[in-house]
Amino acid sequence: MMETLGYFATSWTDPYLLLITALGTFAGIYIGAIPGLSVTMAASILISFTFKWDVNEALALIVGVYVGGVYGGARTAILLNIPGAPSAIATALDGYPLAKKGLAGEAIGLSTVMSVMGGLVGVLALALAAPLIADFAIKFTSRDYMLLGIIGILLVGTLSGESFAKGAFAGALGVMIGMIGLDPMTAETRFTYGSINLMGGVPFVVAMIGFFGVAQALVQLEHIDTAPIKQKVSRIIPAWSDVRRYLGLGLKSSGLGTMIGALPGTGGDIAALLAYDQAKRSTKNPDVPFGEGAKEGLIAPETANNAAVGGAFVPMLTLGIPGDAVTAIIIGALYIHGLKPGPLLLSDTPHLFWFIVGNLTLANLFLLVFGLTGIRIFTKVVECPRAILIPLIIILSAVGAYAIQNNPVHITWALAFGVIGYFLIRYGFQVGPIILGVILGPMIDANYRRAMIGAQEDIGTFLYDLLSNPISLVLTCALVLMFLNQLPFVKNRKRRADQRV
Amino acid sequence: MKTPDTLRPGERLFALLLVLFAGYAFWESYEISGFAGLTTGGVMPMLASGVMGVTALFILKDALRSPRAPDASPAGVIAYLFPLRVVLFTLLVGLFVAVIPSLGFLPASGGLLFVSIWALWRKGPVWALVLSLLSVGAIYVLFRVVFQVVLPLGSLWR
Repeated sequence: MMETLGYFATSWTDPYLLLITALGTFAGIYIGAIPGLSVTMAASILISFTFKWDVNEALALIVGVYVGGVYGGARTAILLNIPGAPSAIATALDGYPLAKKGLAGEAIGLSTVMSVMGGLVGVLALALAAPLIADFAIKFTSRDYMLLGIIGILLVGTLSGESFAKGAFAGALGVMIGMIGLDPMTAETRFTYGSINLMGGVPFVVAMIGFFGVAQALVQLEHIDTAPIKQKVSRIIPAWSDVRRYLGLGLKSSGLGTMIGALPGTGGDIAALLAYDQAKRSTKNPDVPFGEGAKEGLIAPETANNAAVGGAFVPMLTLGIPGDAVTAIIIGALYIHGLKPGPLLLSDTPHLFWFIVGNLTLANLFLLVFGLTGIRIFTKVVECPRAILIPLIIILSAVGAYAIQNNPVHITWALAFGVIGYFLIRYGFQVGPIILGVILGPMIDANYRRAMIGAQEDIGTFLYDLLSNPISLVLTCALVLMFLNQLPFVKNRKRRADQRV
Repeated sequence: MKTPDTLRPGERLFALLLVLFAGYAFWESYEISGFAGLTTGGVMPMLASGVMGVTALFILKDALRSPRAPDASPAGVIAYLFPLRVVLFTLLVGLFVAVIPSLGFLPASGGLLFVSIWALWRKGPVWALVLSLLSVGAIYVLFRVVFQVVLPLGSLWR
């Protein structure tokens, strides 16, 4: 027990590790918040110059950036309606309307406290229930991952935008973009048109920068003469009554976020969307409708995406399967340091497991400090005239797109996606489903083909498998329900029922 | 913008273009491996483009049923989609991308920032120059020094 506590407290008692964790968390908040920068990009760049460091130092920095970055993405989602990361897409739905009402400080304060709560619940789950959650996640088959991916894309399609058809179209477009390049199973070219650059595929960060950064910048050009939103940041520390009121929702979303985060291949993005959807369904009479600044719509995704961080470490540390893109990078870091993540990691190197648990806890505490003290300065960003902000967003988007692989062609792609995104936004499409499609498309493709191979390429067997396995059945039912919910007569019935209430 | 039931200028044409694009995407997907099997590389692209096609038809159907936009003339569509400011700024960004290989990233960024801030903010060239230089300096420190990103240098300076 004392030995475990010692491992847990390694980064708490070593001043150098303490400093690195603090720096990582602080930098992560701003990396996550700056449009065009992503925590995945930062983590991958950090790997390249920390591989000579001691493993604890490298992990302390990357864990800090990860925790800070997942939270930081929410800030631009709230202040600029530009999610800094896919996990903040749902945050923008209610966070930005709150900022428009002059409640940016309160929204960020509340999201900070709830993010930390979610993060700590995730770490607790990692520490206490890792073997159990890993046991559950390992039961998922290829078809379950495929279903989960489709649900993730459709969920964002139904949650945002003016019609289900537009959301589904955008999601499918994203899947198509995700298919560009060499087929990972057969090395067949798909939509490359003979271009060597396209053979490597479209990095999702490039698409994200284009559709969110550049497209939003072009759309905002129309509003360049309007006065910048003066954010009211009089109350940074959220009211205790608010925290107490939303504690139940926060805990529920944290649990959901941890579970989703623990599923390999899924991460904070799906966790946040599912939590938002869950909050929308379970909150009968919100003070403000969802999509117009409901605090529930801010709290649910924010607690869930930070809880997913702890969850994402579960399959990584126990099975060697990354929970999301950043944990995939951390696996690379562990390999560089001669460690092999997997079932033996816990028994062979318990100090490493408990160091990560302790470091995640520490990073969450730093998050609380930096999150609540930096709001006033940060909100000044949106008071910056758009005439300055828009060209800067373009430059940051360009450098962000370039930095992923040091490839200048990616700048052109990001700008092209930006122009396409501009037209889509002008006609009422949301770009969130496109990004999720790009990210989840390859995962859906690979898992569909594995599942179909498992069914000996027989559609009947494939459909039977979907309905005969309990997990697949639950996911299939969820998918069918999502479609049924969009049928006109179901929608009309629900509308009439709401009016009666 | 639009009221819930009226169309935006050019929305029907856009919906039609989406249907055509989805059809083209399906054809391109089919070209990958045809209907050779259920696990070939073309199956998922065909499924995705098929979803695009079906949803695009629904979008077109909705667009045809909704009342026309108040200003659906070609001039109205151009005014809605291509405001002069957006067109000029996009061209400027295109020029920025085009000159990066010769000028290098930082000088090209400085140029884009200077011209666009001067034109959009209208506070005079001095303010635009100061802000551009400060921004380029910050970008250099953040990306070149902190993140060690090797920014494109430009053939003119080699």
